[in-house]
Amino acid sequence: MTSPNDEVRIGVDQWVEQSEGRRVQYSGWTAPVRRLFDRLAPGPRLGLFLLAAATYPFLVRASDVRIGIAILLLAMVALGLNVVVGWAGLLDLGYVAFYGFGAYFYAIVASDQLPAHWPTWIAIPVIVAATAILGALLSLPSRRLAGDYLAIMTLFFAQIFVELVRNFERLPFVGDDLNLTGGPNGIPGVKPWDLFGFEINTFTRQYYLALIFLGLLIVGLHNLNSSRTGRAWRALREDTLAAEHMTTPVNRMKLLAFAVGAAIAGLTGAMFAAVQVGVFPNNFNLFILITMYAAVILGGSGSIPGVVLGAIAIAYVPELLRDPSKAGWLFYAGLVVVVFVLVRRWDRLAATAGGVVAFGFLVRAVSSSIWDESTMGETNDTFFSRLVDGWVLILDAQRDVITNYAFVAAIAGVLLVAVSRGWWRIAALIPTVYLGILVWENKLAFQPSVTRQLLFGAVLVVMMAVRPQGLLGTKRVEIT
Amino acid sequence: MEFFLQQTVNGLTLGSVYALLALGYSMVYGVLKLLNFAHGEVYMFGAFAGYGVLTILGGSSALVVPVWLAIVLMFVAAMATSSAIGVALERFAYRPLRNSTRIAPLISAIGASFFLQASALLLFTANSRTYNTPQLIQIETGIPFGPIRVWMVRLLVIASAALLMVLLTLWVNRTKTGKAVRAVSFDREAAAMMGIDVDKVIVIVFLIGSALAGIGGVMVGLVFGRIFHLMGFVAGLKAFTAAVVGGIGSIPGAMLGGLLIGFAEAYTTGYISSTFQNLIVFGLLILVLLVRPSGLLGRPELVKV
Amino acid sequence: MRNKPIWRTMAVLLALALVAAACGGDDSADTTTTTSGPAATTTTAADATTTTAAEPMVCEATVGFMGPITGPVAFIGEVQLNWFKYAVDTFNSDMGYDFGIAEFDTQFDAAQASTLAAQVLDNSAIVGIVGPAGSDQVDAAGAVFEAGDPNLTFISPSSTRVGITAKYNGLFRTVGTDDDQGPTTADLIISQGGTKVFMIDDQSSYSTGLADSTQAALEAGNVEVIRESVSQDITDFSALVSNIPDDADFVYLPWQIAANGQILANQMAEQGKDAVIVGSDGMDSDDFSTPGSFILSFVADISAFPQSADLLAGYLAQYPNTNTFGPPVFVATQVILEAIDRVCAAGEVPSRASVLAEVRNTDLADSIIGQPISFTPEGNMVVSQWYVFQIQEDGSKVGFVG
Repeated sequence: MTSPNDEVRIGVDQWVEQSEGRRVQYSGWTAPVRRLFDRLAPGPRLGLFLLAAATYPFLVRASDVRIGIAILLLAMVALGLNVVVGWAGLLDLGYVAFYGFGAYFYAIVASDQLPAHWPTWIAIPVIVAATAILGALLSLPSRRLAGDYLAIMTLFFAQIFVELVRNFERLPFVGDDLNLTGGPNGIPGVKPWDLFGFEINTFTRQYYLALIFLGLLIVGLHNLNSSRTGRAWRALREDTLAAEHMTTPVNRMKLLAFAVGAAIAGLTGAMFAAVQVGVFPNNFNLFILITMYAAVILGGSGSIPGVVLGAIAIAYVPELLRDPSKAGWLFYAGLVVVVFVLVRRWDRLAATAGGVVAFGFLVRAVSSSIWDESTMGETNDTFFSRLVDGWVLILDAQRDVITNYAFVAAIAGVLLVAVSRGWWRIAALIPTVYLGILVWENKLAFQPSVTRQLLFGAVLVVMMAVRPQGLLGTKRVEIT
Repeated sequence: MEFFLQQTVNGLTLGSVYALLALGYSMVYGVLKLLNFAHGEVYMFGAFAGYGVLTILGGSSALVVPVWLAIVLMFVAAMATSSAIGVALERFAYRPLRNSTRIAPLISAIGASFFLQASALLLFTANSRTYNTPQLIQIETGIPFGPIRVWMVRLLVIASAALLMVLLTLWVNRTKTGKAVRAVSFDREAAAMMGIDVDKVIVIVFLIGSALAGIGGVMVGLVFGRIFHLMGFVAGLKAFTAAVVGGIGSIPGAMLGGLLIGFAEAYTTGYISSTFQNLIVFGLLILVLLVRPSGLLGRPELVKV
Repeated sequence: MRNKPIWRTMAVLLALALVAAACGGDDSADTTTTTSGPAATTTTAADATTTTAAEPMVCEATVGFMGPITGPVAFIGEVQLNWFKYAVDTFNSDMGYDFGIAEFDTQFDAAQASTLAAQVLDNSAIVGIVGPAGSDQVDAAGAVFEAGDPNLTFISPSSTRVGITAKYNGLFRTVGTDDDQGPTTADLIISQGGTKVFMIDDQSSYSTGLADSTQAALEAGNVEVIRESVSQDITDFSALVSNIPDDADFVYLPWQIAANGQILANQMAEQGKDAVIVGSDGMDSDDFSTPGSFILSFVADISAFPQSADLLAGYLAQYPNTNTFGPPVFVATQVILEAIDRVCAAGEVPSRASVLAEVRNTDLADSIIGQPISFTPEGNMVVSQWYVFQIQEDGSKVGFVG
């Protein structure tokens, strides 16, 4: 991102490149904000974040606090994953199992699965220690396996965990009376955390507890990262062989990374079980793992503020898309932004806007004279649909079939626009924008839940294309 | 003996499909060193394209063309659809990330995979479809092998998968383009310096890998029947597993890995336990990896210092 | 990636768009509903005051739907959502109301259900919920409802786990439980002279519960049971089919995914296994059509009743497909809407507590599923009749009297 272009230039050594990079870094109109952020020491930065996060529950409703808990838990677990993936560079696809292990462990000792409930202050340290040991055990294959082979091995571990939990009572050596995990039914009715008589049983309390843990975690991880251990991990990530030659105890460092990551996941899992008041096998499937990875990579693998920001984005964007009226705003705002970015000269912009409007009226005039049912349908009656009703076709009969074709055509149009240049781009853009609005008003706006997934997927692809190193990540060359 | 033969046929069918999918994974990995997690969705769209052609031709029970022609057309449509999606994926989701870290394209792939799943949900609804193959090719038709009789469709799947693998191997080893693919997967930069158009090779690899996935989709539709918008997830995971266990980047390895998983699943269900099928298969594969840390046919990675 | 500043501008603009969306959404939601926030799909009538309502008092409320609209069992949620919309539309046009709807996509995930339950509670226009679908999600959402507002009615149209209704004050269901279906299945198999049953569950909560209950009833009747299970993501059953002994006379499939049942049936035919398949209510779908098989269903063949047949035809005119998970949603929605209707008729403003009280008083003499609807104090159906169908050569289902 910092270098002006990607080509190798003659006579430009690393120092010149870096100083150029520093200058380019703060160019453009977002510069003041970025400069401020970079100049702020980590301490005040964290303080500002915690302050903002602490006031959040006062400003919003209970359901938003609940979303806040989900965000904080994702941030915690993603920070743990960041230790393994972002710092030590080990692709651990079994990470979700540690989260599940912590959650199930807590659920078992804090529900009616066992005759005696453990006090929280005993349960939590035991869970954290047990998960760390499990993590250390899983690091053993990493002595022999590297890269994707380690990834698939850990993925097997994650799947074995879910299979075991789901079929625990059917294991040959387990009787019916020792059904610890509840099988496919999971464990409902998990008790809240009870810290010396203070029950963490409301959303607000759970939120603040999670926030405290997140703050402690950020401080701890920040210090760890700048310690000898942190440096050893990064050395490991950049070049294991070289690190080994520099007498880094590679295997011990890998073990430590796995154990630290796992312990954090175990702790978060134990909180999650209490927040959800139950644990179920499907809570720990691969989709959850994908969410964690998305938070780490989207935010910027290796960067603590990046991972936290990534978790906020990954957990909050889908919630934003849940409400169709918000999704409508997002769609139209996004459309305008994309048109602005693709067409930057004002004359062409005017031509595009005029073209789209004219194209719409033309299509409507032609279509309604041939087949009058093409304008007779109902909109979903939001602000935008009232605005474009009378311009875009709102189909009545054959809606599904026609919008299916229009949907495929719109996607093809988007791809065409992306590869064409100049006036061709505008020629492709006009019908594409029209088709997009047509599909939105006829189909997508009526299926908010599906549309939400569609847009979330698109947002992920676009965000990665825009910033391959993640939102707050730093670009680095990977040695393969 | 009858039971063993039957399970062998079961495993072979399943393994052939896994192998076809794993080939796409492995080839893409070879040239780009990236895990194309959206490969399963490419396969799903292939299956739906085949279904679309079948419906246009009158459906399984009232076909307007000869059966063989219908099947050929289904394969062609699936290949076309899947390759188009595969190439678009490469161009729009992966190419912008060509020079970034190894894990960054993972998220692109996942985003693309969500997008494609949701698109399928919009286009085809969540209602699963069936090819209804028994009406197309009678269940009674088949060739006897000793005590058991093997359904024509299974034979078709196994034979065409084998044929495709042979063709692919020949293509990679004997043709000029194949040589270019091998060169790019060996060292992309060096290949570019030797005058190989790396972008073109990558597109070709996506084209062929996706076409194989499309064929795999139609095969699954024909032999197992049910297709639905999420079918790509589990299949993609199996293919990924097969590719890695076989030795990722190695084409014969992907085939071997696919077959190994197919057989492991069939024999585990047959002789040990269906409940713990996944558990036992994964355990077995872990053992394989511990014994051969670079997969069955993978080269141990040489590290230049 | 040559034009980097553009991409950066685009990213910033996109972020601004997100913020705009957040604010914009708030505005529009505030204008369309008086009481609720932006969290849900509220389409409550803003213009209800301008329409000429039949009653002098304006009777307004929103009913929510929670279900797996996307995700692994989207085929359930999609049909459930369609039936839900259809029920509200039908009721609104028949009775002259303008009740709003809100949809909540659980993705068949308990964690989602828990978050969504909080959003339901915050939307005070919502007086009742149809859903969630699976027992996991019922447990997760139920815990939030019980803590936040125990007076919120939520009627699950597909959760069959025994004992779950006793745990939550507002929970009802419009399907029978595993304890009803299991013995009925066992009776059928025993009456058909079954001596050896091959039973395969799909490792889901629904399936194992049903299989356990059926197995117990069969073993009490001295029928030999061979129990197997497969994970739901497996779509090739040929290896399992080879395990079916030749002297097994029935194969019992308590499965949610009927199309998988058809695959298994095809593979049985392929390998020459001639045991008869008995399917649970989840298998009651057009996707499963193996002649000679028995299907248990909570829902009578609804096209057989004149009033249900009309409703079904009206539904199919608007929506592409249906399955066994649909009609109980219609019943659940009808129960809530009629409760709101009675609250309004009594001159009260519909609230969660008043609707809950009226839902408890539900006493429908007949319903689309061919049974009278009233609830036990726990929230189960008082009458839960199971029907047995046999699939004929032409694929039609005929009621079976054993």
